[in-house]
Amino acid sequence: MSLNALISRRLRDFALSVEVHADRGELVALFGHSGSGKSMTLRCIAGLERPDAGRVELNGRAVFDADGRVNVAPHLRNIGLVVQQYALFPHLTAAENIAYSLVGWSRAARAQRVEELLSLLSLGGLGGRWPRQLSGGQQQRVALARALARPVDALLLDEPFSALDETLRGDLRAELLRLRRDLEVPVIFVTHDLREAHLLGDRIAVLDAGRVLQFARREEVFLRPRSRRVAELTGVRNIFEGRVGDDGCVRVRGLSLRVDAAGPHGASVDLAIRAERCNLRRLDPEAPLPENCFVANVVGDLAFGNTHSLRLDPEGAGPSVEIEVASRPYEVLGVATRRRWVVELPPADLHVMMRE
Amino acid sequence: MTFSGVSWDVFRVSAEVTGLATVLCVVVGIPLAWRIARSRPATASILSSFAMLPLVLPPTAIGYYVLYGLGRQSAFGRFLGDDLGVRLVFTWPGAAIAAAIVSLPLVVRTAQAGFEQIDPDLLAVAHTMSSPRRVFWRVAVPLAWPSLAAAAVIGFARNLGEFGATIIVASNIPGETRTIPAAIYDATQAGNPALANTLAALTLLIGVLLLSILAWLLHRMPRTRRT
Repeated sequence: MSLNALISRRLRDFALSVEVHADRGELVALFGHSGSGKSMTLRCIAGLERPDAGRVELNGRAVFDADGRVNVAPHLRNIGLVVQQYALFPHLTAAENIAYSLVGWSRAARAQRVEELLSLLSLGGLGGRWPRQLSGGQQQRVALARALARPVDALLLDEPFSALDETLRGDLRAELLRLRRDLEVPVIFVTHDLREAHLLGDRIAVLDAGRVLQFARREEVFLRPRSRRVAELTGVRNIFEGRVGDDGCVRVRGLSLRVDAAGPHGASVDLAIRAERCNLRRLDPEAPLPENCFVANVVGDLAFGNTHSLRLDPEGAGPSVEIEVASRPYEVLGVATRRRWVVELPPADLHVMMRE
Repeated sequence: MTFSGVSWDVFRVSAEVTGLATVLCVVVGIPLAWRIARSRPATASILSSFAMLPLVLPPTAIGYYVLYGLGRQSAFGRFLGDDLGVRLVFTWPGAAIAAAIVSLPLVVRTAQAGFEQIDPDLLAVAHTMSSPRRVFWRVAVPLAWPSLAAAAVIGFARNLGEFGATIIVASNIPGETRTIPAAIYDATQAGNPALANTLAALTLLIGVLLLSILAWLLHRMPRTRRT
């Protein structure tokens, strides 16, 4: 089973032009800010919106093809959809909501299927409740059960957890990871939450202004963003402009940084390093500075409970950097007690991106 | 108030005309309202202006068009009369058709407001799971029902009071097409204020009753919409 979608559609602010692919049992995250075209992509796949051009294929069967004039009605595409605000039918009980799509099933088969789903999603005993009598987490479980009640060829989730509070969100994410193994259908979910995209997405499509900037395995997207914009969107806080020197190092603000793969001599590049990948070392005035190190002063310190976000400005050569330090090493090192530190940017964590 | 001289036939005729007209405007108006609520803005505005047209015409003008359309002057009227043997002009069903057209805009507007209040996400999800017909009957109608009932009550009230269009299409034949409004008109023209007073008072009573039902329906609306 697989899902292929190539979608073009004119929107008010930009043109949507997206290509995504999901295999059986694979979770693909459509990640981007609100208004980047993620939800519209999902609605086009589900058949709720009509693309101007493109093709949507489920298991090799075209459900939409602009050239072949194929446009299968949403309910005939066998796609399950879950939306952010649950959208349960308020006039139906939880069980009736789940059974909504089971048209033409015998009463006994329907009841059995509903029971299966209630227990699959830990909703045992709640079938007779009205949606308004359920908590947010329970409502979203019912919505998931409803989307999966009939045999579906794909599952689409539009910001499924963002209306829930943090603890519930964690539970439901774990639930989805568990479910995914049994489902054996391609799953595409839309999220603007970076951590969620990384936790759940086997592959991530990074969307910006209607275009997919990068579509790759999650480690690839997080550690090797293809462009400065992808790095920014995936939360890389340190992006430096530089130039490749003749020694294969990258020159950034007078500092020569060794990297794993620099690119051709003289090339203009962007160097990216995540805030948690930068190291902080005690300054030893006796010893010479090791490779990829420079002296910097702490100019900002934001405490986020379990981590600290430090801003350091260079004393001489080198860029201004943001470093994330967990609370424990923060205390052990005594970061709060001194201002001057050595910043180390490990070569393996410095990622080079060609400038356009 | 005296009931002498009141011909109870006018109530039967009014009930027939109003009943049929209400069925007609609901059967046409509610699906039309659903269509307008679900269409793209361009299509919706065309359908909507079409449905609102009777609101800007004098009822007598509507009556004139219906009379022309159903009568022997038009091809459709001749087809009805000569080929199907159906005569609608100067009959109470003809009056009902005219009244239904006059009240259609009110029915469409009220029902449309009900449909537009349904969470679009709810309908989107429903559309991925079932045919448009099932979405209409199992989701849209149950969720909008207070508005739909209100639409029917408003249509009923408007049909009951319709005079201009019905009298042109069906005339004012006692026992056949004379409705309550026509009888009131007749009584005042004939210098019988007592009869006019009685009939008007009875319509006042019916009106108050209808408004109470309407108020109750509108009161129910927010309660069913809560999730």
